[in-house]
Amino acid sequence: MKSLTGKTLLAIATLTYLFMWVPAIMVIVFSFSNDKLGVRWEGFTLRWYSEIFSNVAVRDAFGMSLTVAVITVVVSTAVGTLAAYGLYKYKFRGREALRMSLLLPIIMPAVITGGALLVFFTRVLNVPLGYPSILIAHISFGTPLAIFIILGRMARIDWSLEEASADLGADRLTTWRKITIPVLLPAIIASAILIFPWSFGDFTITFFVAGAGDTTLPIYVFSALRFGETAAINAISTIFVALPVAFLLLMGFYKRKK
Amino acid sequence: MFLRERIRELLAKYPYLPSVGPVSIWVILFVIAPLGVILYFSFLTTGDFGVILHIFTLENYLAMARSTVVEVFLRTLLFSTAISMLCLLLGYPLAYFIVMYGGRWKILLVFLVVLPEWTSYLIRLYALRSIVRSGGLINSVLLSLGLISSPLPLLYNPFTVVVGLVYGYLPLMVLPLYASLEGLDPSLLEASGDLGATPFRRFFTVTLPLTKGGVLAGILLTFIPAIGDWLVPLLMGGPGTLMVGNLVFLHFIDVGNIPAGSAIGMALTVIILLMLYFCIRAGGKEATERII
Repeated sequence: MKSLTGKTLLAIATLTYLFMWVPAIMVIVFSFSNDKLGVRWEGFTLRWYSEIFSNVAVRDAFGMSLTVAVITVVVSTAVGTLAAYGLYKYKFRGREALRMSLLLPIIMPAVITGGALLVFFTRVLNVPLGYPSILIAHISFGTPLAIFIILGRMARIDWSLEEASADLGADRLTTWRKITIPVLLPAIIASAILIFPWSFGDFTITFFVAGAGDTTLPIYVFSALRFGETAAINAISTIFVALPVAFLLLMGFYKRKK
Repeated sequence: MFLRERIRELLAKYPYLPSVGPVSIWVILFVIAPLGVILYFSFLTTGDFGVILHIFTLENYLAMARSTVVEVFLRTLLFSTAISMLCLLLGYPLAYFIVMYGGRWKILLVFLVVLPEWTSYLIRLYALRSIVRSGGLINSVLLSLGLISSPLPLLYNPFTVVVGLVYGYLPLMVLPLYASLEGLDPSLLEASGDLGATPFRRFFTVTLPLTKGGVLAGILLTFIPAIGDWLVPLLMGGPGTLMVGNLVFLHFIDVGNIPAGSAIGMALTVIILLMLYFCIRAGGKEATERII
């Protein structure tokens, strides 16, 4: 790294990392500061954390976000695994059309997806806003994500094991249980690790379809922001930043165990 | 008994039904149908109190061309293009640095790029805003250094909106570039060096053309979310930084003019699909594979 190019690259990389991380680090630091507005360092405290954990509205919102994320992950990965398998193994009419339609939720702007679902739920289907509408919206985004991650993995798998199992007389369900699912498990876990934080943290689509009743944690934060920034919001934000880190450590642990 | 026979018959004829059946129904019901509905609504008339009248009209599309909507569309296109380019200018050196000089820290360096993308977008923007706003870190540092005497109004201008969008989507640029550079054959670089190419020339004649797929994928992956963004202008922008996403939201929620909002949304969708089409055509297979 002695060359001029190396030094320049190091400088650009350092500045870019600072740009990406300083805001989050400051929020974390100020969440432990004794300053009510959360913009100054005035001594260490855990006050804001005990405050948010004893706040019923925050607890409810946290619970709702968690419930929605867990259900979204389970349904999306289940439906997604099945669908990826079918898309990979069978040639059928409409296969390309299905693939293209599955791209729509990923490439469409969240304001359009959210707006379209809201109109559809309130003016066409009469789906109650709240848990049902939020879950449908999240699963509609999570499932395609799972499908494309699992499809990517399928292209790189040795499928002869599956044939061998069938040749040895196992029926399709046994083959699925003993061969297909274990082989796909890393991809299924990878998609879950991607879908969970997305669902837990999504604001825009949820905001459109949430209605006036219960709220998720990001919507709670957004409403709280209208009354200005506070140290308590810093504490909630820290949870959001810590969550993917925790997931990553968990994944590293799982890999090491294998 | 009869039913069982029928199911067996169906399965023999359409063996893919159990696997792709559920997702097809879901996609038709909750992806295609809602978009179809707003496409249909975009041709309808709005009555009093946001009631949708089933009277066919092109007014929603014509109104877009007449009003200030055009200005918002142009601004959005300008912002998205600028953001893609800025992300490329920051992201390429970063990805190059990770691949060439990362060494044993490579994985950690990649994770430091990916992690923000897994954190709630709203929370990340909140974090950025708390640094930029008048009592935030930047102003405090400048004040204590004596460089300024009163806080600078950094929020609510186009520049900050662009910075916010770059902050939001930079990881999406770095990842495909990283994958593309990582897959580069080092012997090609050596060969061009042995043949006497200067590092500068080598970069523009060998490295950059070979990573074209990654570049196009990165541009697409930053341009598309940026063009539909509405949170950055909402949290950090002012009246002069309104983007198309904000217009869609305003029409759907605040004004309650769903047909007008639908028409704007459809126009945005067409722009995105065109962009996707041209990028995939320019980048060929590699760009497509990096995206899907």
